[in-house]
Order: sequence, then C-alpha cells, then structure tokens
Amino acid sequence: MGPLAINELISENTNLFLAFVIGIGFGFVLEQSGFSSSRKLAGVFYGYDAVVLKVFFTAAITAMLGLLFFSLFGWIDLNLVYVNPTYLTSAIIGGIIMGAGFIIGGYCPGTSFCGASIGKLDAFVFIGGLFIGVFIFGIGYNLWDGMYMAKFLGSPKISETLGLTDGVFAFLLIIMALVMFWVAEWAEKKFPREEY
Amino acid sequence: MKPRQLLALFIIPMGLIIAAVPQNKTKPYKLTADELLSEVNTRTQYVAPDAVADMIIKKDPTLRLIDVRSQDEFEKFSLPGAINIPVTDLLSEAYTDVLNQDIKMNIFYSNGTLTANEAWMITRQLGYKNNFVLEGGLNYWFDAILNPQKPATTSSDEEFAKYDFRKSAGQALGGGGVVQASQDQGSSSVKPAIKSLPKKKKAAGGC
Repeated sequence: MGPLAINELISENTNLFLAFVIGIGFGFVLEQSGFSSSRKLAGVFYGYDAVVLKVFFTAAITAMLGLLFFSLFGWIDLNLVYVNPTYLTSAIIGGIIMGAGFIIGGYCPGTSFCGASIGKLDAFVFIGGLFIGVFIFGIGYNLWDGMYMAKFLGSPKISETLGLTDGVFAFLLIIMALVMFWVAEWAEKKFPREEY
Repeated sequence: MKPRQLLALFIIPMGLIIAAVPQNKTKPYKLTADELLSEVNTRTQYVAPDAVADMIIKKDPTLRLIDVRSQDEFEKFSLPGAINIPVTDLLSEAYTDVLNQDIKMNIFYSNGTLTANEAWMITRQLGYKNNFVLEGGLNYWFDAILNPQKPATTSSDEEFAKYDFRKSAGQALGGGGVVQASQDQGSSSVKPAIKSLPKKKKAAGGC
C-alpha cells in the first residue's frame, strides 16, 4: 500500500494486515486460474497452455492502466511508488536461473506455495529446492557479491530510456500483449495435449 | 465473442486515451496545517548541538551546515565548513540543488532558532527532505559547546560524560581558550591535565 504507508495515513500494522488480506486474495486467484498445476504452468514453455502469459500480462496491463489513470486524476503520486532498483548482471543471471527452474520444476516461487496449499507433493519438493537454493546463496554470498551488485543502473524506466511518455509506452505494451495473446492461442491450437 | 477480443475492445481505447493525454507532472505534495503543527510539536526538525559537534569533529561527509543569517554575520563568525544561504535568498534557483537532495543532512542555523526554523518550514512545505535545524541556534552553541558549565558534583555520570564531551568538542572547535580559563578557576591546575586524555577519547567515540 506504498503511498498510504509512506504518508503514515495507515499504521505499519494496518499495512501488514492489508498485505495479508491482499496476499490471500492473490493466492486464491492464482489457484482459481489453475496456477497450482505444474503441468499447466510449464505449458507456456511448450506452447500447449499459455495461461501464465495471459494471466500475468493481463494483470500487469490492468495495474499499469490503473496507475496511469490514477496519476492522471491526481489520486496517486507515481514518484512515491517504489521501483525495484536494477542490477543488470544479477537481473540477467537471476532471470536465466529462474527460467530454468520454472521449466524444470513447473512452478515459480509464488505458485509453488499456491500448489502446496492444496497439498500438491511436487510443490512441496519445489519449495524444498527453493530453500536449498536460498541457503546456498546465503552461504556463498561472499563468492558472488561482486557480481550480485554489478552494473547498478538505479531505477530506470523503459519509457524514459526510449524517450517516450509513459502513456505512449503503455499503449505500445498493450498492443504487444494482445499480439502475444494471439500468438499464444495459436500455439495452444498448434501444440495441443490431450490431458495434463 | 472471445474473451481476448472483449479484452482488446476495452484496453485498446484505454491505452489510446492514456497515450493521448499529457502526463501529470504536478506534485500534489503539500503538508496540511495539522501535519505541520504535529511536526513542530514533536520537534523532529531539531538536531542537538552535541550531535552536530560530533559530526564536525568526525568530519562526517554527510553533514552540511547552512548558515541562514546575512552574509555580514556569516563572515564575522560561522561554524566550521558551513555555507551561507541567507534566508532572503532561500528560493533562489542556485540553491535548489543544495536544499532538495537526499544524500546530505542539511542543518540550518541562525543566531537563535527563528530564522533557521523559517528556512526549515519553507523547504519542508516544498517537500524537500533532509533539512534540519540546529537546536538552540548559535547562542546555545556558544553556551553548550564552546563554554560548557561544569555540572554539580551530585549530577549523574551521564551529565559528566556530556560535559566532558562538550569540553573536548569545544576545544577542538576553537573555544578552548575560553573554556580553560574558566575551568582553571574552578579546579586545581593538575586535574584538567589528567582529564584531557579520556576527554579526547570521548570525543572520538562518544555519542
């Protein structure tokens, strides 16, 4: 609840409580969208099921439009919204590790807990692997902290880098997403699987 | 109609609208009178002279002292490393980068606290961060740091530690002559010499 908490309109505890409620809502929607099935999730990489792409891109576009319209109406100050800083090297390497884990394990960290909540065994195995990874990262931090902190770029926005306004970039992203949805649904027909 | 087409029908017009309208660059940030009053009441803007003296002695790179008095007064006396921004020139473009930043800790000071507080309130209302006021101003600085009064013998250890720190800080910051003169009257000539060693240590590691 970024801007509300920063301006101390709500207390730290209320903030945590809201995070808890939103988290439960998020988990519920994930489960209802079928995100607790590792075969469905991995489907995005094989082309037979693009639900991951569609759900997350729809969520991103909805949030993007919401924030931009809120900013337009003066309801939210986008300068107060926290933007995760970019460390280019670790973003690329982390992306590769995350992607490989996603294909192999069939879950991403959030959906693995989603799967575990309805008692999926493969989700529990995935969470075990996740903690082993966290442990190795923590133990060996001295080995890769140079790489971890390398190429710090601050919090750049793609729209700023390209010299576009946020609105024009948002429109291009919407077009891109719709094209991707179209390609994904074509792929679903092209590489169907009978049962998964 | 497929869900994808329905979605497209809705978000493409929305995208076109947001692409066409100018970006909202106005900063709605402003403190209400209530918020400002509560900040004034909790005295969040004040930094104690001991903390400032400690930062000066340690050459803390984040400290930036800003003298908001007139240039004449600044030239007669200023704290070490201070820069002069008379409160009348506070809103000059040249000083925006100094006042609106999030790296250094700006501490305003004037003779009392009135002018410094004026500068703080204006910058606070503009939404600038990291601006503070030297508690008590220069007048209190002279009393507390450059010419500290020895606490009564019945005072707590804390009071004595504070006094020791202030005395050594005062010496380091150029008030030493005055301090020693007044101290020699109060105690024997041997004692200050012994005290000077732990005093220095306190200045380095205290507070």
